Amino acid sequence: MIKLENVTKVYKGDVVALRDATIDIAKGEFVFLVGASGSGKSTFIKLLNREEIPETGTIYMAGKDIGSLGSWKVPYLRRNIGYIFQDFKLLRKKTVYENVAFALEVIGKPRQVIRKQVPAILELVGLSSKVENFPDQLSGGEQQRVSIARAFVNRPLILLADEPTGNLDPQTSVGIMRLLDRINRTGTTVVMATHDRGIVDTMRRRVIELDRGVIVRDQARGVYE
Amino acid sequence: MAISPIYAVRETAQNLWRNVLLTAATVITIGVSLWLFGGFFLFNYAVGNATARWEGGIEFVVWMNPDASPAQDAAIRTTLDESPEIRDWTYVDQDQAYEEFKVLFADTPELIAAVPAEKLPPSYRVVPTDPNADVVRELSNQFKGRPGVRSVVSADETIRAIQTQADKIGIVFFTGSVILLGAATLLILTNIVSAIKSRSEEIEIMKVVGATNWFIRIPFMIEGLTQAVMGALGAWGGLWALDRWVIRGFNDTNSLALLDGFQVTSSEFMQTSLMVLGISVLVSVIGSAVAVTRYLDA
Repeated sequence: MIKLENVTKVYKGDVVALRDATIDIAKGEFVFLVGASGSGKSTFIKLLNREEIPETGTIYMAGKDIGSLGSWKVPYLRRNIGYIFQDFKLLRKKTVYENVAFALEVIGKPRQVIRKQVPAILELVGLSSKVENFPDQLSGGEQQRVSIARAFVNRPLILLADEPTGNLDPQTSVGIMRLLDRINRTGTTVVMATHDRGIVDTMRRRVIELDRGVIVRDQARGVYE
Repeated sequence: MAISPIYAVRETAQNLWRNVLLTAATVITIGVSLWLFGGFFLFNYAVGNATARWEGGIEFVVWMNPDASPAQDAAIRTTLDESPEIRDWTYVDQDQAYEEFKVLFADTPELIAAVPAEKLPPSYRVVPTDPNADVVRELSNQFKGRPGVRSVVSADETIRAIQTQADKIGIVFFTGSVILLGAATLLILTNIVSAIKSRSEEIEIMKVVGATNWFIRIPFMIEGLTQAVMGALGAWGGLWALDRWVIRGFNDTNSLALLDGFQVTSSEFMQTSLMVLGISVLVSVIGSAVAVTRYLDA
């Protein structure tokens, strides 16, 4: 599903964010990206979403080299990738329903599809009773559930999560991880950057550890360290 | 991917309302600049129509009676040919006069229908060698009261002054309108950039979930176009008022006989209106294209 071949990303000032990374992630895998701040986790995720382009190396998504995609094709790539932010990035003036519907509306989905898919995904994330609430009326965990619903409403093949529990307490984080696990069981590949030792150690999924841009560990059913 | 009309209208309206004061300033600036621009053309048309018979150095016109005899006509021609102070002259017969009359009064077909060609006087349009006002006056006096001559009208200094002043006013109108159009373009750009910045989080989400560049751009471009067209409509109203109450006023009062024919025809008004609309679209395309390519696609 995802394949990196000798990928190197260098930012201005010769800052190497990722160095010669080669990795293969199968369809339906759940992968944790771990490492200290600045180790290259976010860059790894941004490269998969084509927010960044590597200086050298090739990234394949479902067999396609995404580096060679024309810029007009990038939006179509992203429709197959869900993205979850640490700070949720919900639109304050839109309700829960509108925030999720927005993701379908802006890719041109018909209204009848939106009316069908949005309630279904809100039920999956357990927010059926809060469709008319605004983000400020929700707890952190609920806001992250809305963010997950928005990322998953278009049923993407891949879900990228950049520290989705970073702003949540441990108990709420467990609920979010259960939800991501449930999504993963539908066959969606999940790649999650995290600092949360407890979550990684509890879930025992594949762990890729980065240290100053270098992959130093790739362990099936791994732990944080 | 097709953009839903409801989505486009809703987003555009929100963008316009979010910066309503800046929107109002932009629309007013576009309206005033296009009004000046259109006004320049309307005045040019009106002055051109009023002074058409004085083009090409013609300094006086000898109007003949429609029933002047061939001998009376020949006597006038002989004087014109033999005078060393006359460089050139043109004879405008009744049919040609009728054609001019039809152009001049195109907006009043009832008048055209009421006046047959044979009622219109033929004329000699004379170009003297020296356009000095005293020389012209002396020359034109030679034809006054002669058999077959109805009247002699000279393009005195007033007409020339009007042409000169109209040219100067036109340059001021034109320059002012071009400067204001430049300002309007910058205002459209500023307005759209402001809308882009205030919606930066929304735009980020749109990009992440896979909205195409055009889907993101279109509401902003429609926003620019809406402002420009609103300005153009205001300018059109102003031009209508200018034509109705100022330009036609010169004719209606009939106090300035020298400016007989100072008017704008329907087709000239239509041409000016279309030009104003076209320029408003151009201004909006330039302003919004620069805004979305520099601040949205980065």
